[in-house]
Amino acid sequence: MLFDLGSISERVAERYDVITVGGGPSALAAAIYAKRMGLSILVIEKAIEGGQLNLTTTIDNYPGFSNIRGEELAAKMKDHARQLGAEFLNGVVTKIEKHDEYHTIMLQDGKAILANVILLAMGANPKKLNVPGEKEFTARGISYCATCDGYFFKDKHVMVIGGGDTAMNEALHLSRIAKSVTVVHRRDKLRAVKTLQDKVFSNDAISFEWNSIVDRFEGSSQLEFVVLKNVKTGEKKRVKTDGVFVAIGLSPNSDIVRNIVKTDENGYILTDENTETSVPRIYAVGDVRKKSLRQIVTAVADGALAIANAFEKYFA
Amino acid sequence: MPLLGEKDANYLRKTFSEQLLSNVKLLVFVDDPSVCEYCDPTQQILEELAELGEKIETTVYNVKTDKATAEMYKVEMTPAIVILNDSGKDTGIRFYGIPSGHEFSSLIQDIIMVSSGNVSFFNEDLSKKIRSINTPVKIRVFVTPSCPYCPKAVIEAHGAAILNENITAEMIEANEFPELSMKYGVSSVPHTVINERHSFVGAYPETAFVSELFKALGGM
Repeated sequence: MLFDLGSISERVAERYDVITVGGGPSALAAAIYAKRMGLSILVIEKAIEGGQLNLTTTIDNYPGFSNIRGEELAAKMKDHARQLGAEFLNGVVTKIEKHDEYHTIMLQDGKAILANVILLAMGANPKKLNVPGEKEFTARGISYCATCDGYFFKDKHVMVIGGGDTAMNEALHLSRIAKSVTVVHRRDKLRAVKTLQDKVFSNDAISFEWNSIVDRFEGSSQLEFVVLKNVKTGEKKRVKTDGVFVAIGLSPNSDIVRNIVKTDENGYILTDENTETSVPRIYAVGDVRKKSLRQIVTAVADGALAIANAFEKYFA
Repeated sequence: MPLLGEKDANYLRKTFSEQLLSNVKLLVFVDDPSVCEYCDPTQQILEELAELGEKIETTVYNVKTDKATAEMYKVEMTPAIVILNDSGKDTGIRFYGIPSGHEFSSLIQDIIMVSSGNVSFFNEDLSKKIRSINTPVKIRVFVTPSCPYCPKAVIEAHGAAILNENITAEMIEANEFPELSMKYGVSSVPHTVINERHSFVGAYPETAFVSELFKALGGM
């Protein structure tokens, strides 16, 4: 049994060398590097440090840990940063104001904190399917978090939409709880890594609907049916289900900074090779940044890069 | 064997000594282990907290042998935690089910809020609105220990209870009370039910939370 301390409200100062907006792996790595360089750093997180790590049941690809639970790795990273003296604040950043020598972070409760350097580490949220019935049945059978909601489908029939690593991890997690798991994927093969593919293909509780997309969701008060459409034949079929978990990728959580820093058409923040954005003293790290691979290892690398560069440019 | 590791225990000891101002009383209501799987560990974790903070006092009641006390605090299920402030007044905060996983942080946050009397995440305007409610309100927040968004919903509800004695706010660990979860159609957490009628899913920003609260009261 795990007892997570979360981010207990600590007293915060009025100004820091570095503030991270978000508290996932990129921010925690940045905190470790910043403290070792003698910088003060505040990590502002709205939910729980470790970010999406907490939603990942098991992690098999982080060097040094052949198999570790997401929340355990998150706790270890936070502990590491905390031991070095990084500070944490549980809060929601509503606005960032840019200046020349520093920037201001506005919190939801009205408080303003100044930072010489800001790291945007807001991460990404699960992408929606945008099909009829999705909004209506969200939390009434449709979920975006198997770690949070899986248990409610004990011994029931569920579907997972998606074919990547996250979708397969969720399918494996759900196969231990639900009676059956049907993976719905728009192609005829999975995008997930080979080791995960081996696991799902050898799991008797998991079956597949290939070349299929969700056309719409139907039900009365709760979700009852999913209408699937075969992308090859155009054929539609109505399948009975108790729950659907959507894992078709991520969408960047960059809304609060889109008028400040440059982003691509999908909202991913554009940076130089040192992760600095179009605005000096503002860096973007982790999943919110435009890059080719979104993994824990690349997130922590971003955090280190940002601090090393900022130290040289603005603190040396 | 303590449930809390040494590092966490040291951290809590330091936090409690720095941030607790007045005494906080934690009442734990348990039942026989044969009918209440999580009663023993809940009791243990609260006893450990009392050892770590000199301002924290934990009292254990058995719902069968201490029936009158359980009834006085309207304890409906076990394990239950009730938090009283320095003067022994019921804060309206309830935990049904073990506060483990991410929910442990809700409990710690609650202890600090009650002891310091400071519910800082509601700004002045929102606090005023919450204080203006003059009818009984019962907020139930269904959670799972593995849900990272849930503590926010729980703390907002508990914060509202601290600000206004008309408000009772319960954390309910959905896995431990499947029938109740089913009754309210809980299939995603956090799932908040206000006065039986009004419900919403998700951890809302403070302003939206307060507006849901008023929606439930018929838009006062």
